[in-house]
Amino acid sequence: MKRLLKKGLTLNFLIWMLISCTEIMEIETKPGFTRLVVDGSITTDTMRHTVWLTSTEGYFSDLQVPPVSGAMVSISDGTTVFTLKETTPGKYQTTGSVFGLPGRIYRLNIKLSKPVGGFTDYSAVSELLPRVVLDSVSVKFYPGWAEKGMWEVKGFFQDSPDPDFYRFWLYRNGRNITGSLGDWYITDDLFFNGKYLQGTTLGWLSQHQENESLQAGDTLMAEVQALQKDFTEFLWGMRSSLFGSNPLFSGPPANVKGNISNGAIGYFAAFPVSRAKIIVKTQN
Amino acid sequence: MRNCWFCNLSPWMILFTWFCLVFPVAQSSAESDKNPVISGFVRDQSNGEMLTGATIFAIRSNKGVVADVYGYYALTLPPGSYTLRFSFVGYEVQEKEIQLSGNLVMNISLQPLQEELDEVVVKARKAEQSILAPAMSLQKVDSKTIRKIPSLLGEIDLVRVIQLMPGVLTTSEGSTGFSVRGGQSDQNLIILDEATIYNASHLMGFFSVFNNDAVKDVTLYKGDIPAAYGGRLASLLDVRMRDGNSRKFAGTGSIGSVSSKLTLEGPLIRDKTTFILSGRRTYADLFLPLAKNKDIRDNRLYFYDLNLKLSHTLDAANRLFFTGYLGRDIFRNDFALMGFGNRAASLRWNRLFSSRLFFNLSFNHSQYSYELGTTEDTLNSFKWTSSIRDYAVRMDLTHYLSGNHTLRYGAISTHHSFFPGSIRATGESSVFSDYKLPAGYALEHAFYVSDEIRVTGKWLVKAGIRLALFQNIGPGNYYRYDKKYQPLESISISRGKIFNTWTILEPRLAMSYVVNERSSLKASYSHTGQTIMLAQNSTAGTPLDVWFPASPNVKPQLSDQAAIGFFHRFPDKMLEVSLELYHKNISRVVDFRENAQLLLNEKLEGELRYGSGTAYGTETMIRKEEGRLTGWISYTFSRSFRTLPEINDGRRYNAPFDKPHAVNVVANYDLAKRLSASLTWVYATGLPVTFPTGKALFGNDIIPVYSARNEYRLPDYHRMDASLTLKGKNKPGRKWHGEWNFSVYNLYDRHNTWSISFERDENNPNRMFAEKTYLFSVIPAITWNFNF
Repeated sequence: MKRLLKKGLTLNFLIWMLISCTEIMEIETKPGFTRLVVDGSITTDTMRHTVWLTSTEGYFSDLQVPPVSGAMVSISDGTTVFTLKETTPGKYQTTGSVFGLPGRIYRLNIKLSKPVGGFTDYSAVSELLPRVVLDSVSVKFYPGWAEKGMWEVKGFFQDSPDPDFYRFWLYRNGRNITGSLGDWYITDDLFFNGKYLQGTTLGWLSQHQENESLQAGDTLMAEVQALQKDFTEFLWGMRSSLFGSNPLFSGPPANVKGNISNGAIGYFAAFPVSRAKIIVKTQN
Repeated sequence: MRNCWFCNLSPWMILFTWFCLVFPVAQSSAESDKNPVISGFVRDQSNGEMLTGATIFAIRSNKGVVADVYGYYALTLPPGSYTLRFSFVGYEVQEKEIQLSGNLVMNISLQPLQEELDEVVVKARKAEQSILAPAMSLQKVDSKTIRKIPSLLGEIDLVRVIQLMPGVLTTSEGSTGFSVRGGQSDQNLIILDEATIYNASHLMGFFSVFNNDAVKDVTLYKGDIPAAYGGRLASLLDVRMRDGNSRKFAGTGSIGSVSSKLTLEGPLIRDKTTFILSGRRTYADLFLPLAKNKDIRDNRLYFYDLNLKLSHTLDAANRLFFTGYLGRDIFRNDFALMGFGNRAASLRWNRLFSSRLFFNLSFNHSQYSYELGTTEDTLNSFKWTSSIRDYAVRMDLTHYLSGNHTLRYGAISTHHSFFPGSIRATGESSVFSDYKLPAGYALEHAFYVSDEIRVTGKWLVKAGIRLALFQNIGPGNYYRYDKKYQPLESISISRGKIFNTWTILEPRLAMSYVVNERSSLKASYSHTGQTIMLAQNSTAGTPLDVWFPASPNVKPQLSDQAAIGFFHRFPDKMLEVSLELYHKNISRVVDFRENAQLLLNEKLEGELRYGSGTAYGTETMIRKEEGRLTGWISYTFSRSFRTLPEINDGRRYNAPFDKPHAVNVVANYDLAKRLSASLTWVYATGLPVTFPTGKALFGNDIIPVYSARNEYRLPDYHRMDASLTLKGKNKPGRKWHGEWNFSVYNLYDRHNTWSISFERDENNPNRMFAEKTYLFSVIPAITWNFNF
């Protein structure tokens, strides 16, 4: 729904596209102070769950953000404690047999070997919501759209009567083609609360984009994740900071507050996932 | 504060009470001074338009008055013989010898100037005006001045001229939004013949809704807002429509690069009824088929305006006016449509109860609405609508008690309806259910009285008070919130029930001291409140306005403003110099939570945060209104800050339109009898912005880490525009007059920053660079104006 509303906004944005121009400029900013960045999750899948630890870097710096190594990282669900092992610098993983359970509250604990952002100890808490079941998925081709046409991916599932927030990921032949903030769909259930969804849009794929285009015989898999409201708002905020601010639609940007303690940036999220597949036939 | 005796009165009771109270008082006290009064209307000889602001001066007694917005004046003088001088900028002065023994009615028609003014007359008139004018912090412009100023795309716009005044800042490049003395753009009350205009912009802000051909004059009150008006903190923009030519049928029009206009006016019943009808339509979309991109080619994109005014004279004492305005913007393409616009109407009855008592009763209606939706019929089709609607009745009385007292009093009641948004699924078998935010209703009542007192020949005092009541009425529902702004329970209110009342007492005081014929000192203080606000946190503004009222959760914003000013005239050089200093404190200033969701949010009130604001500044202006060279130069120094505990970690930050330095230069020069040139130059410090200072990795994306709010600034803004007007030859007997206008916007091609975005370097994914978007290069335009 949000995307549809955006369509309207894009339309009146056209007038700017007609007349506006861009040009590269130099900006001088004072370097901000360094902070810890956490990006971690645990899902209902049985797999190696990952927590990334990095720190911030100057915005206009050429350098990559540095990984934070040598930390002690663990996830506990109140009864069991899973210790994460640093597999590559900054990447901490559980063993491959770990899975999250709906209804459990997961706590992430981080102890750094030396302080980043003034602290060594960081933690976060996230509740894993009840499972959502994606019954099936279908695709529809719109030949006239974009340059070579677009695929609409539709999902069929039951929405619960509670307020829900969903994120949809799409996989082509087993590979996630919606890996970035700007690629996947995220929505609340404001417009379909409690309904059975007969083909709601899970995403759009453009034939023009090599990494999105579908050919006959490809397997398309869709994944539905039920997210906490706070996490959804965090992702919305992250997404809008990714797209930058626009004097028409956005207020002054601000740092998005996650759920990590002591002022660290990022989020530790627990969520259930459900998937359905389809084999793509011809473009009709 | 919330519990007062008014709370239990029904709105209609209040209306009835004020009508009963004020009306008989007005009638009975009409004849209070024993001295005779001379009164009447001042008009333009050529077309019968009432001349607002014309001065009437009794030369030897040093007394005078200024004609009101309806062209009416009343001057009390002891019996005797006088020479009365009637004057107005751009008109020939008329002097009348009178013998005053009893009340006298004298209607005067002034002849528009053909030749340059005699310097002596100018000197005398300026001296008179200086003695008469107690008002400060106001800027008045008539439509003739507006016409001379170079415009964007040849589209003459009064708001663009207002933006060139000291103390007024443009909100963003190309926009007709404005900020007065550091305020927000929703803190300006914009009225067209007394009806509120909620969104004064067309085409995403590039043009204002005011068609200059239909406008008589415009006054901007930046401080000392008259007690008759209120409800906004920063300013009042009072736009008055022309009454229409009562002498003969006439037409005015123009054909320009983006729009055409036509205005017709004339008497319907001779000396009784006149009309003016004005229309404008843009045709920007006619050029869209030339666009390379197919998606753009099929778009529809235009706006139109219609203005109608009817004036009817019932008899010497009674007149009726009807003003109607309708304007709408339309965007449409294959998959989406959008429309937005204003509707306003006012019906006014002017009555002279006696020559000392002028009465006005108005019924006003305003509406702003927009819709957004899909044009295709699919499962996802929808239509989103939102609006605000007002019905108001107001009564104003001007009581010319004696030569030393002019009393103005009245009452206003407004019924507001807020429809913040509803989405209807329009597809035949839609997957969506309808979604509707609950409507809100409110009543706003105000009672005011103000007195203009001539204490001595040198001291003038204007004291006023306004009592405003703002009441939320059912049906409706609202949420209660905890201290962390999380919604608790929803409360439903039954129809007609007043569930909340805010009372604001707004005192206003202005004083002026005439040092001598050339200089005066002025000071003013005003306390104002704002009860309806706009949910908007972007600087440029979109048509998707959501107005929301004060409520049990939202307290009215309050402002205290004090200003002092010094005014001096150099009659020899026909120059006026003014200097004003102001200081404003705003309590309960509203801002929005970081990353707030303002549209389609039922719990919008949970997104609001409160704090305090402060603004101060100096405004200097040199203005020349007569001679071959006219125009002004102004310099404004101003600052505006906010402090909200939950925003920017509680530290003070620059308000969104804080631009410390602003310079405006406006010059018109008559090169020859038929040729005149105009030049404007504007400079302002860049808008405050929040920049990213660090980067963080999240998933596959690099996320910016931001500075403190509004810690940085966009590059400084400056721009020069020029225009040349060539009038057609004025042959005797020729009815048709043409005029060519050539204008260039952004003469030296300054690429002023509209926004800054940050992009990743394709060759080095770790490197980010800044890219600015600018809207305009050099933009030339040609317009052909005609009248007959």
